[in-house]
Amino acid sequence: MPQPAPSHPARSGAAAALGAPAIAMGVSFLAFGAAVAAAGLGLAWALGASLLVYGMAGQLVLLQAGPSGAAAALGATAANARFLPMALAIAPWLGPSGARRWLALPFIAITPWAAAMRMLPGLPPAARLPWFLGFALVSWMVAGLATAAGFLAAPLLDAPLLAALLFANPLYFALLLAAELRLPASRRAILAGIAAAPLALLLPPAWGLLAAGLAGGTLAFLWGRRG
Amino acid sequence: MADPIAPVIQALGGALGGGHGLALALSALAMLALRAAGLLVAGALRPDHPLVAWAAAVSQATLAAFVALAVTAPGGAAAAVPWPARLAGLAVGLLAFRATGGRLLPALLAGLAALAAVRAVL
Repeated sequence: MPQPAPSHPARSGAAAALGAPAIAMGVSFLAFGAAVAAAGLGLAWALGASLLVYGMAGQLVLLQAGPSGAAAALGATAANARFLPMALAIAPWLGPSGARRWLALPFIAITPWAAAMRMLPGLPPAARLPWFLGFALVSWMVAGLATAAGFLAAPLLDAPLLAALLFANPLYFALLLAAELRLPASRRAILAGIAAAPLALLLPPAWGLLAAGLAGGTLAFLWGRRG
Repeated sequence: MADPIAPVIQALGGALGGGHGLALALSALAMLALRAAGLLVAGALRPDHPLVAWAAAVSQATLAAFVALAVTAPGGAAAAVPWPARLAGLAVGLLAFRATGGRLLPALLAGLAALAAVRAVL
């Protein structure tokens, strides 16, 4: 059921990004910034990875792969390959297909995507893109600021604390998925994804997640078509 | 035959501060390409098109697999958190999410507190 149009959709999107999403993203990007500093790379590199790659799985592959150029980039791309199906799934909700939809391009990442997939179908079409951009810009700025803070505060953060902070991101995603379990299509995809997760342990880290997602998602899709 | 792209990539890498900079620049371009490909393919598809449904299923399954792996078999620094603490964090977070009627922030904080508490005891 469509909700009444918020009078300032961009502002209400921005406000929605400032609660749990900002904390979950903030702490994981903080941990990433500190890890970059520990690896001896610069602040510019840390910010570039957070703002331009903007997907934690790929960022961690880039950081851990070492200075191997194209090979590291290939691994990071495989780890973040979910951006393609995510962009495909969200595009119809970003308003009519046209130039304005492309404004969303750099911000398609898990946190804005998951929030938007929950919110946009309930908003009037004209409010959807502004809401997404409001949410996405705040998330993106939080990611950048947290990365810089983590980089600068690295000497103050000990390894056990950083390890705990890295857990905030998966926990936040687990909560988002729990909220989706009531929808049959989502339930199938989530259960199939968990069932396919062991596949990732058999493959190189960068490719494992892609393989598990493709296998689990395709299985869930076919299962839904049959039912 | 010499690869015509190699000198360009080498120059780019030099300008960006070596292998790490080059890897970052190439990845940033690849991320844009992935997102653009998704938007392009979606084109004028309706939200109920089977391809959109498949893409949503793959995205959600990837996310579910990511969470499952992060809890059961994390890589890198996160592996330093013992598994009972990871499991307690997840369980308490999900229970709090249910108890609060689906509020993200209290559930997130409760889960992280449980993780820290179990870890301190172990």
